Amino acid sequence: MDMLLQALASLLTFESFITVLVGVSAGLLIGSLPGLTATMALAVLLPFTFSMEALQGLIALGAVYMGAIYGGAFTAILINTPGTPSSIATTFDGYPMARQGRAYEALAAATIASVVGGLVGVAFLLVLAPPLARLAVAFGPAEMFWVAMLGLTLVASLSSDSLLKGLLGGCIGMLLSTIGVSPVGGETRFTFGFPPLQGGVELIVALIGLFVIPELLTMAAEGRGALSKEGGFGKSHVSILQVAKRIFTKPVNLIRSCLIGQLIAIIPGAGGNVTSLVAYNEARRFSKDPDSFGKGNVDGVVASESSNNVMVAGSMVPLLTLGIPGAPPDAIILGVLLLHGLRPGLDLFTETGVLTNGFILSMGLAALMLLPVGLIGGRLIHRVVIKTPYYFLMPCIAMVTILGTFALRNSLLDVGIMLILGSAGYFLRLIGIHAAPIVLGLILGGIAEQGYVQTMLAAVIDPIPWLRLVSNPLSKVLAGLVVIGAATALLPAWLERRGLLDKVSSKAGGDA
Amino acid sequence: MILRLNTDIAAGIVGLAFAAVLWLPRGEMGRLSIIFPRAVLVILVVIAVGLIVKGFIRPGSRRVVISGSLRRLLVVMTGFFVWWFAIGTLGFVVSTCVAIFLLTWYLARVDGPVSWRRLLQWVPIIGVLVGVFYLTFTQVLNVRLPTGLLL
Amino acid sequence: MTFTYTKLAGALSAIAILGVAGTVQADYPEESITYVIPFNPGGESDVTARFQEPILEEILGVSVNVTHRPGGGGAVAWSEFQNGAEPDGYEIIGVNIPHIIGQPIQRSDAGFETDNWDIITFFHSTPNALIVPADSPFETLDDLVEYARENPEAVTLGGSGTYSANHLDMLRFEQEADIDLTYIPFTGTGPLPAALEGGHVAGIFNYTMLGVQMEDRARVLAVASEERVPALPDAPTFKEQGYDIVGGAYRGVAAPKGTPDEVISVLEDAFAEANRQITEKQEPLGFVMEYITGDEIDEVIASLREAYTPILEAAD
Repeated sequence: MDMLLQALASLLTFESFITVLVGVSAGLLIGSLPGLTATMALAVLLPFTFSMEALQGLIALGAVYMGAIYGGAFTAILINTPGTPSSIATTFDGYPMARQGRAYEALAAATIASVVGGLVGVAFLLVLAPPLARLAVAFGPAEMFWVAMLGLTLVASLSSDSLLKGLLGGCIGMLLSTIGVSPVGGETRFTFGFPPLQGGVELIVALIGLFVIPELLTMAAEGRGALSKEGGFGKSHVSILQVAKRIFTKPVNLIRSCLIGQLIAIIPGAGGNVTSLVAYNEARRFSKDPDSFGKGNVDGVVASESSNNVMVAGSMVPLLTLGIPGAPPDAIILGVLLLHGLRPGLDLFTETGVLTNGFILSMGLAALMLLPVGLIGGRLIHRVVIKTPYYFLMPCIAMVTILGTFALRNSLLDVGIMLILGSAGYFLRLIGIHAAPIVLGLILGGIAEQGYVQTMLAAVIDPIPWLRLVSNPLSKVLAGLVVIGAATALLPAWLERRGLLDKVSSKAGGDA
Repeated sequence: MILRLNTDIAAGIVGLAFAAVLWLPRGEMGRLSIIFPRAVLVILVVIAVGLIVKGFIRPGSRRVVISGSLRRLLVVMTGFFVWWFAIGTLGFVVSTCVAIFLLTWYLARVDGPVSWRRLLQWVPIIGVLVGVFYLTFTQVLNVRLPTGLLL
Repeated sequence: MTFTYTKLAGALSAIAILGVAGTVQADYPEESITYVIPFNPGGESDVTARFQEPILEEILGVSVNVTHRPGGGGAVAWSEFQNGAEPDGYEIIGVNIPHIIGQPIQRSDAGFETDNWDIITFFHSTPNALIVPADSPFETLDDLVEYARENPEAVTLGGSGTYSANHLDMLRFEQEADIDLTYIPFTGTGPLPAALEGGHVAGIFNYTMLGVQMEDRARVLAVASEERVPALPDAPTFKEQGYDIVGGAYRGVAAPKGTPDEVISVLEDAFAEANRQITEKQEPLGFVMEYITGDEIDEVIASLREAYTPILEAAD
């Protein structure tokens, strides 16, 4: 406790406050530009931290990280473009809300959810780091395979009209993920003899292409902006307090999303890309009114944004205790820790506890800072999006998209891939294959492949190698969850087709 | 614009075509590298065939609605690719200034003819905008943007 | 007259030569230098480059911009560099052994060649290390070899990448010890501590850095270096235990083929100085600082190529 107070004292300086404020603002700006990810924000900041003291440097990195993850929500809500992969699920309800003139409500909800998520993550990190870390290492190759499969059951809820088309999209996504160098085997695949394709299709490139380009093309075809002018702030009668009240009086969704966020954050390699999708899916599954999701239900935004901000501090659990980066940006923070001679492990919480706790608490401060910075920044960006005529807005978004895609890997080819996928995505959407399942397949394909092939390799001496997939207790549990998940996703559709749904739902009501 | 199209069959054909593009040139690949893509390809083909069958038996949506002008859509889509190509050959700044200017002009025409005065007013705005982004990326974010023949 | 004339001409040309040489040396560098890292930000190559950046800037007097061009385990950046970079010394790229040796042999379309550039220097190496968890039944390397001899393929060793430094030296170890192990590749070093800690593999064949990082939770059975590394004084080498395995990853920088020698030597000195200044930060992490330049580069590449080629070709 002493250490915690000391850490708090070291944090309560003018310098720290300014560092956090600047860090959060810079992170927010970078995170809100499609293509510029939290990883990149941290990489850009890295050289500056060399000249700072260890704590100051870490505070800056934590603040930028928090801001960048949150910043993704802005563009997700306002122009249907996830600024970072972790805010894909925010688009599902955030953008419809903005189209209905409820942009402010969505932004406020996202902000409150992010603040709560950030604080919850920090609390978990302070209190439960060691036991959670033990859980983190339980995820081996077989478990990762099942995690990916579990993620794929989300396809069912992401494909609104036709399950088959959703699955088709998921398969296309998974195949796109196999282009390039195979993770196990090291051979080049599907490069068509073209060396630059060894780099494969980067997730964020596909994400930007599939989400932004169809939106821009629609804007051009319809001759309209992303949001209608009627949706201005002046006419919105919802205040931040009302939004807060709405969220906190029904806290189940928020609590569930935070817990999901924390659980997934500690699974190394899954990271924030899936947390928000899983939280969104569960929010919908447990909602009394699942059909309203995807049409502007504020609970969807809350689920997505709270869970992905838990992930910021949450993924520090395996990082600080074991040196395992849970999400890509964590790798950079690990580098900084090592630079300052801080070796991940329990020593970090005892010997250098003041520093570590100071860093953790600073993330809490950063989360609180999201509130003012986010609300002011949100208002500004919203006004820009509304006020700018669409014929200016569309080319400008296109420019930022191209810049962001290029900057990701300094690759002009990536820009081309982005445009090709985006144009194809427009037509695929017309025939009912949506972007979300494709992106989901792309995220999970690599995880599934690696988990499966690694398990098979490890089981090379077993008589029946497949059994290795369900040999551990955790993998059995996960496999069971996959079966349940698939069943609950498929059954209603099947029953509905049989015309049995009414009977079942009334029966379920009776049981409850 | 409304097109008559059996979307189930169309989606199935897209799936089969995509599978064929990847399957035919796969060449000699080690077991560890092919095991996963092959499994997904098989599943993809099954789903695609399933969709085509379903399209004949119990088709889903038979209409495809393209909202707005198809011509504008295709022109802008082509424009994006020309822009991309120009970045590589002419350089980022020049091609982006020209591309934004042309796109703005093309889209603003939807509301009626654009006067020369307005066109001239846009020039400094677009110049400053592109300049700010160019400098931010090259100077702050250390991204080396393509310079091509011009800039 | 003739005599004085030739003398004068000689003097003039001498001045001219000196002058020209002088200008080349004095002129370079005049503008900012781009330092391409063919991997993601946050990796060892990136962190090292970030260390070097301010020191290089101070020595060279121009700004040095570190940019990333990840993809294909480095191959995307390397093929682009060999095909497009100007040999003027204003664009340099990080190069890694064994990647630049292994990929062109193993892939038909790697897009670059091992020798098609002027390597300036290799500035450090990270020897391979065989690491097992602290509670592993294998106390020594002999325990592991003995067990593996009786139970072929039962010992699983995780490592970073396929046909990487880890994988290749593990294959050499199999040959030397005449045993069969199972190698399980992971993407990068990141997931390896978790795999070890969670008991998903029996051990890991990775670099010395991980051995240092996990000092209190793991045991380093052997290190693939000539002598024990400073950061792990208690870990024996493979050589001490009778296996002739010396290898690991070497990191360095290269300029495009045809870059003037003067430019190369300016950069060589700058990197050597940068190396000296960051030694005290990097050595405790498990890096071995190297100053490999000129002909030594060819020797290192040739010897490792000789060691790895048979393994790689057998794999195809």
